[in-house]
Amino acid sequence: MGMKKPWKRLFLIVASALLLFWVFFPVYWVLKTSFAPEEEVWNMGLPRNPTLRNFRDIFSVRQGSMVEVSGAMLSISPTIVTPLRNTLLVAIAAVFLTMVVSSIAAFNLSRFSYRGKRAVSSYVLFAYVFPPFILMVPITVVMRRLGLYDSLWGLTLAHLAYTIPFATYMLRGYFLGIPQELEEAAQVDGCSRFQSFVRITLPLSAPGLVTVAIFSFVLSWGDVVFATVLLNTQEQYTLPIHIGFFLWGGEIVDPGRLAATALIAGLVPAFLYIAIQRFVQMGLVAGAVKG
Amino acid sequence: MSKVTTLAQLGKWSYILPALCVLGLVLLVPLLFTFWMSFQHMPIGRPPTFIGIRNFARIFQDPLFYHSLRCTVLYAFPAVGIKAVIGLLVALFLNQRFWGRGILRGIAIIPYALPLFIVCVLFWFVYDYRGIGNFLLRLGGLRPIHWLSYQYAMPSIILVNVWHGWPFFYLGFLAGLQAIPTELYESAEIDGASSFDKFRSITLPLLAPVFWIVCGLSLMWTMGDFVTPKMMTGGGPADVTLTIPIATYKIAFLLGLNYPLASAYAVAVLPIFVVLIYLTVRRLG
Repeated sequence: MGMKKPWKRLFLIVASALLLFWVFFPVYWVLKTSFAPEEEVWNMGLPRNPTLRNFRDIFSVRQGSMVEVSGAMLSISPTIVTPLRNTLLVAIAAVFLTMVVSSIAAFNLSRFSYRGKRAVSSYVLFAYVFPPFILMVPITVVMRRLGLYDSLWGLTLAHLAYTIPFATYMLRGYFLGIPQELEEAAQVDGCSRFQSFVRITLPLSAPGLVTVAIFSFVLSWGDVVFATVLLNTQEQYTLPIHIGFFLWGGEIVDPGRLAATALIAGLVPAFLYIAIQRFVQMGLVAGAVKG
Repeated sequence: MSKVTTLAQLGKWSYILPALCVLGLVLLVPLLFTFWMSFQHMPIGRPPTFIGIRNFARIFQDPLFYHSLRCTVLYAFPAVGIKAVIGLLVALFLNQRFWGRGILRGIAIIPYALPLFIVCVLFWFVYDYRGIGNFLLRLGGLRPIHWLSYQYAMPSIILVNVWHGWPFFYLGFLAGLQAIPTELYESAEIDGASSFDKFRSITLPLLAPVFWIVCGLSLMWTMGDFVTPKMMTGGGPADVTLTIPIATYKIAFLLGLNYPLASAYAVAVLPIFVVLIYLTVRRLG
């Protein structure tokens, strides 16, 4: 045993270093580029004259961001303000609707038994794992018919296709873990079935609710599929569409500002995920391990 | 059935109704619509006409359809395999007890915490000719390459998907490892089993259920991955990364604006996904 220790230690250090390198090599580049002045963006090392200019620029239009294309002035990278606001609005609306609809549905699936419940559960699970690209064409047609094409409400509604099945499935698991006797006790004291759910079960599942809300938020925040097909004008663009304009013909336009935009767009979900790190593992695989 | 129980049944349904309505609107209706459209011909400005299976006949005669199927397989299977290997190795590593494990566990989920479109932007920088990819190649004494050229585009976008997706496997495997009772290892040690023996006859078999679920989900999502090819290559160069989702998108929105044909595309590949979903969901219970 004594001989094994130093080897094990060396192994742990090498493995840790490899893991850190693997995770951070692409992240590092965007971090350092976002603080780099224009002449240093393609340097490997940390910027010698770090600057916050890129961040200031993406929030305010300046003359330099306009280019002349065949007589017309085009803004090559307009500010992040509108797409950021749109993305936030859609994500918040989607989370709100998801939480209301899904918690009630999950309560139903975890507490009641009735004919057809198996079919409902299967449908929810089916929706959860369903690849969204198949819905690209028909959802566009449906939203056009509803007059919600190129509108943030239409996009919000489409995002519910991701979030509701997922949230319902996860919340069902949380509610199953909360003893039913507590609700029954409340009902003996005069609560209705629904009141006992709102006053007893919901507060007890607060960690679960927060986790599911954050996952839903990130799902909506990161959606490319529906934003690509449903949005058509610059006022409605969300971050993933906005960021696409930094690449022209396979070449990065304005690396500094692209990196700053990516940092802001990536920091929000990453921060939220780290905040609930303890619950992430639980949430994602609780169902998987049970089986 | 008496009147009271019927009412009670209705009461139970009222809880799930909002969810079913929304899911109906954003999932079931569009899905049925896809089926309907795939049998139509819809010229702009004129009413749609039923044309039977002509859209399907056109697809199955089109070499591009088989090409996109091949691309999807060439994209998804290596990606899922590599993700599984990296996820397993990291899970085994971070299941050891050592100082700093908690921080590393947090760091390991960063790639998965970043939305896929941000990951794609990270790799725009990696794959730029002046970027970090070629810097590493030079460091290893190799010539710089054009990462998204015809020759290298597919492996390059697979790497993007792998970098983003491996923590899903890691999380699943770690939970699976933690669920294995330590007594099993202890009694195996008493019987004189080596580390490799223990891994082969305890760890692997007990990890198998988790393994199949995680692989099934990931395979489905990787085959249906629209974001990576869209943001990295747009299906190019010369259609070398034209996976099914990209092909559907191009037919519907870029090239022909042909919704029925794109719907037929989606319907034609739907059985693959339904089988995968069935096999995976059955295990999820």
